Amino acid sequence: MRLTPLGLGCITALVTSCVTGDGRTGFPGEAATSYRQELKPAAHSFSARASPPPSTSEPGRQLVTHTRQALLGALNDVERSRAGIASSLRQLTEPRSLGGRANGVFTRHIVYGSNQLQWLHGALGGVTTLAGAAWEVDEPDMELALLRLTGPRLQAAMSGATLLAVWTDFLNLADAVLRQCPAYGTERLYADINRVQRLIAPSMGALSSLEPAQVEAAAVAMPELMGQLTREFHSIHEGARVATERAGQLMAAAQLVEMLTLVSALRMSLPRLPPAAPATLGMGLVMGSNGVMVGSRLAVSAEWVERMRRLVQAGIISLPAVSAAVRIHGGQVMMAQANQELPKGVRDALGDGPEVRGMHETGRAGAGMADPPQHHVLPREHRVWFEKRGFKGAMDIDQFCVELELAHHQAIHGGGNWRLGRMWPGEWNRMIMEALREAELEAGRMLTRNAILKLVAKRMKDYGIPMNFSPWRGP
Amino acid sequence: MSDGHAWRGNWKARLYERVREQGFTSLTAFAEARPATPLHVLAEELGKDDLTGVQVLSELLAEAEQRKQVTRFMRDVLVRLLSESLPDGWPAVMDDEARFAVAEALGSWSAYTPETHKERARQVRAALRTTPPPPGWRPSGPDDELLRTLLPDEEV
Repeated sequence: MRLTPLGLGCITALVTSCVTGDGRTGFPGEAATSYRQELKPAAHSFSARASPPPSTSEPGRQLVTHTRQALLGALNDVERSRAGIASSLRQLTEPRSLGGRANGVFTRHIVYGSNQLQWLHGALGGVTTLAGAAWEVDEPDMELALLRLTGPRLQAAMSGATLLAVWTDFLNLADAVLRQCPAYGTERLYADINRVQRLIAPSMGALSSLEPAQVEAAAVAMPELMGQLTREFHSIHEGARVATERAGQLMAAAQLVEMLTLVSALRMSLPRLPPAAPATLGMGLVMGSNGVMVGSRLAVSAEWVERMRRLVQAGIISLPAVSAAVRIHGGQVMMAQANQELPKGVRDALGDGPEVRGMHETGRAGAGMADPPQHHVLPREHRVWFEKRGFKGAMDIDQFCVELELAHHQAIHGGGNWRLGRMWPGEWNRMIMEALREAELEAGRMLTRNAILKLVAKRMKDYGIPMNFSPWRGP
Repeated sequence: MSDGHAWRGNWKARLYERVREQGFTSLTAFAEARPATPLHVLAEELGKDDLTGVQVLSELLAEAEQRKQVTRFMRDVLVRLLSESLPDGWPAVMDDEARFAVAEALGSWSAYTPETHKERARQVRAALRTTPPPPGWRPSGPDDELLRTLLPDEEV
């Protein structure tokens, strides 16, 4: 199995930290680094277009290419940890594992984990669909707009995979405790795991909604949650050790420690337990040439930072969400000050700047402003027509909404002070449907989804409609 | 690209002010100095953030109606749309991609054509299908010979 050498490295790391109590060799960042050494496309459908078209300008084309590469890299990372989690959960369901112990009372916890895999799979599938459509459309503005649409799904999948890895760690811990420490008591353990699930569930629910604002809030709140979960993990671990020692089973207590280091999935998620003294947020996080360092340890690689910088600058994911991920990898999870910032060097490396900050402020309900009205670029009353031409699922016409201020909205719908004269009703919906239908007649065949997007992109430019989509929030 | 500013205030006054600033007496004259340029690029030259291609289109039509030069307006718009969708000229091989690019230009052209002239546009498109232009055909303006044959000026 691909993960084996990595796993061994992590076990060594864990043993070291257990034995010495020195967390310098924490594993999550390193695990992420090692994954990247063997990057292999997890997404499958991007190879269709052989070479970039000659018609588009070079800088625009390059930006799109870099953004797409960064997106695929991030997608690969998540796909890889999803596969690892899936295999862990499968092992846990085996009769001699957690699923078969304690009369199967922990089965529902394993099922909870498997259910999360499903939405994760769906989210990643959506990212792949949108990125594939972007790849085909060959129109830099539209391509970037489609890549930006992947944002909430990608962010949800990234944070969701981290959270699910932690949940799997808890299940493995439960398995180890049941196996090695009967003195701890099944009921106590059951209560522990239920409590952990209650901690995880709200964030997991928010992430699985794929709703942009909910996903963003959950992603930004991740470090604090990870801090709570880290405390829970160590408290169960310690409780089991003490109970076992009290029962006079010193050997078993020692074995528990050993067991935990050997459980296959424990490499994945939790940061080391931070020092008891309150730490200053960002303390010790330094941007070095290899990446973000915590002391002498690499928290996240320079490659990862560069990838995130590109995603942030393209407006695909937000700087606060990426900063949260850096804090988690850096083990800076105990601090409640979610709004406090990372050190400047790290922020700069992540591409922080006024334009990036502005990007995610617009349209945010939290900013105290009402969201501007949304407008379907692909007219809703023709939903069926678009569905027949491939606008379904992640490419549903509800994805293709733009926010317009009132005057503009009225104007393109032929209202307000928009007076074109009786000869030429230039109202957007009517115009775009006529253009599409006439194009279909002209081509003598059904337009492809891609052909539709290209045509629509050009007419949007004529109408001055910003190429920045946001999913329909409802009426 | 405009982000809503284009519709603020009196955009027609704004548009003609910019045309005059550029030294032209009419929008048509301004546009003729930039043939085969996409409409949104014309708009950007007049006002980067506060005018749009469709405003330019509607005023070009208004001027054409006054001058009774609507067919010339149609040729002009078609040339702009063709240059945008087929930057390398009329395709030599009609594969799917080429077919959709041609359809994009001609379908949009019909949509941008006033009601009174839609039938004319249909006839022109039929003629282009029956007798396709030579590969690489890239009309440079409304006076293109082939276009004038297909869509001659109206009798005044």
